[in-house]
Amino acid sequence: MKPRLTVSCIDINSPYCPCLLADTNHCVFCSHLKGQPVCDCNWSGVCILYERRWQPKNGVWRGEQAPQRIEAESTVTRKELIAEQTYLLEFAVGDELAAELGKTGAFVFLRLPGDPHYFHFPVGVMKVAGNDIQVVVEAIGPKSSRLIDSGAGAVLVRGPYYNGVLGQPWIDNITCGTILLIAGGMGQPPALPIAARLLANGNKVVALLAPGKIGRVFIADDLRAMGATVHAVDSLRRTGNDLLAAWLTCADTRPDLVVSAGPDDQHYGVITAMQAAGVDIPMAATNNATLCCGEGICGSCERETNDDRRIRLCKVQTDFSQLVP
Amino acid sequence: MVRVVVAGGGWSGCAAALAAAKAGAQVLLLERTDMLLGTGLVGGIYRNNGRFTAAEEAAAMGGGDLFVAMDANAKHRGISFPGHNHASLYDVSAMEPLVRKVLTNYGITVRTQARVVDVLKYGRKIQALVVDNGEVVKGDVFVDATGTSGPMGNCLKYGNGCAMCILRCPSFGPRVSVTARSQVKEIMGLKADGSYGAMSGSCKLNKDSLSVEIRDKLEREGAVVLPMPEHLVRSACLGRKACSQYAIPEYAANVVLLDTGHAKLMTSFFPLEDLRTIPGLENARYEDPYAGGVGNSIRYLGIAPCGNNLKVDTVDNLFCGGEKAGIFVGHTEAIVTGLLTGHNAVRHCLDMPYLELPRTVASGDIIAFVHDQMATKDGLRLRYTFSGSVYFERMKAIGLYSTDRGEISDRVAKAGLADIYSQCLV
Repeated sequence: MKPRLTVSCIDINSPYCPCLLADTNHCVFCSHLKGQPVCDCNWSGVCILYERRWQPKNGVWRGEQAPQRIEAESTVTRKELIAEQTYLLEFAVGDELAAELGKTGAFVFLRLPGDPHYFHFPVGVMKVAGNDIQVVVEAIGPKSSRLIDSGAGAVLVRGPYYNGVLGQPWIDNITCGTILLIAGGMGQPPALPIAARLLANGNKVVALLAPGKIGRVFIADDLRAMGATVHAVDSLRRTGNDLLAAWLTCADTRPDLVVSAGPDDQHYGVITAMQAAGVDIPMAATNNATLCCGEGICGSCERETNDDRRIRLCKVQTDFSQLVP
Repeated sequence: MVRVVVAGGGWSGCAAALAAAKAGAQVLLLERTDMLLGTGLVGGIYRNNGRFTAAEEAAAMGGGDLFVAMDANAKHRGISFPGHNHASLYDVSAMEPLVRKVLTNYGITVRTQARVVDVLKYGRKIQALVVDNGEVVKGDVFVDATGTSGPMGNCLKYGNGCAMCILRCPSFGPRVSVTARSQVKEIMGLKADGSYGAMSGSCKLNKDSLSVEIRDKLEREGAVVLPMPEHLVRSACLGRKACSQYAIPEYAANVVLLDTGHAKLMTSFFPLEDLRTIPGLENARYEDPYAGGVGNSIRYLGIAPCGNNLKVDTVDNLFCGGEKAGIFVGHTEAIVTGLLTGHNAVRHCLDMPYLELPRTVASGDIIAFVHDQMATKDGLRLRYTFSGSVYFERMKAIGLYSTDRGEISDRVAKAGLADIYSQCLV
């Protein structure tokens, strides 16, 4: 049976819950903190109303607001062109932030010091080594281009944020299973920590990699070194889909979990392949929503689900199949 | 084969499952925690005042099994304490396994740690319940016996917070109302001050923490009444209680302890520091982990709108029992409504007319009376029980209160209800 996705807000059980949304009666989880008269939550083991009542960290007794993510200045220590318009950046962050960025689906917001707040953009974490964080930035929009084009090397890092992968609990909780990891183009950087987490839990990872729009596969060696089986193809659309269909159809190669790291079109393709093969396997997918504030406030990442809920993807977990139009 | 799925394994759910099984259905009982009986795990008081009549009516109707189990497990019989006569007290620590045995003997499948979280509904019919592990449980007809108390968010908002009561919401997850999940708007009980809910009416002390004299007297006589010291008399807090049969001046002027295995303290909560100023209770402590010095669970948040046959309005195959069916207090009331709802669930599947208990028996009169009262704002502020307050007064006034077994069974027979719950319909 397909397991149920319990966590509906990624910030629950983090130092950032209850958040500003609870302060304004817009909590995505607790019915009381949404202005409803009685309890009606998708229980995940913690009562947000209670957290709000008791946690002194909130400073509610001191009249302070909910805790905020801190933006810290850092210096880019490595900047390497790895594909067209695509750069690997490395910078150091504090101990606490580095530890938090090791979580599945973690990401940060980056901007140049001195730029207005609205220049910050989200970047998924590819590697955490001690306090050094590696990310990959494709310089295609005004915000990312501005950061890449500046020669100064200073950067403001805001984090940690957690909702980079929809279906994150499946990745964290599966043990001793077989996982099919499909990564194309800019889906490769987040695929690396996902594979690391899966392998650490005794799973077998079969990776299907494609160069995507950026035109290069650059995580194959890292994945092999971790112990994953790697299949690199020229194009998911042309050759990858056939491989995928064959794996899903055959009982011996059928995975327990599918992880799709890449653009939404790739996610749709994977779902179509699963439907064609007549299988219903849990699927985790990278979160490609347009995130602007990351705090559930601005609404840029709001999407409508198949069951007519409007959810803000910077915080809310859902099964990606709920977002298929 | 008629498949009945009962959500909630409190006294009412157990009674519903029992009645459905007796009527010939295949019954699955889903319980959220690891034990049956719900708040009945800390109950204990039955056959007091009009509850005697109700228990005997249930027996005459062929649904007395659970009362037989209680009687077999009674620590005290026929005791009196302020406002209450001929009460029996069952041993709360030994009751659950016995009830489980009764149910399994009737072929009922009991599944614990199976919390219902959602409903799959098509049109006006429920197709299946969803359990919190994602499992879909299909059935022909469903009983909502999920209760109305807790979870801790509600207890925090409408009470003094989670007192770590027997509901154990943090460990097993909160109750989820089948009725609410079926898109039926629920009714909320009110406190005297007009806010939602009511606080459960008794808490439990560890018997070993009482003085030897009090403990011995409690075990010998079943009840101990200690005069409340002058500085602790606070009659103002009585209006908040769920159990209006104990919201009488005697309970403000006295500390009433009953021996149900625990030392049941007949007040919602009592600050420990104050309690320990009472002679004999100097070292008292509440039963672990219960925070009886702080508060108690809040109930009557989410009552299903239903007819006197206990079918939930606007859903064709959903029935309800216990507190879900009205502002009923106590497990005798839960069992009486549970039996009817389980029985009617089977009738639904067989296209039989639903049973509605006539007002010539107390069990029928209380259901009709409570539903009438709940249509009024003032009625929503009251609680209804065979054992006291408005309904017991009514029982006495209209001659329904009786302790004569023969008279009660005659009444049941005259209404055409003799052994009705023990007849196999399928």
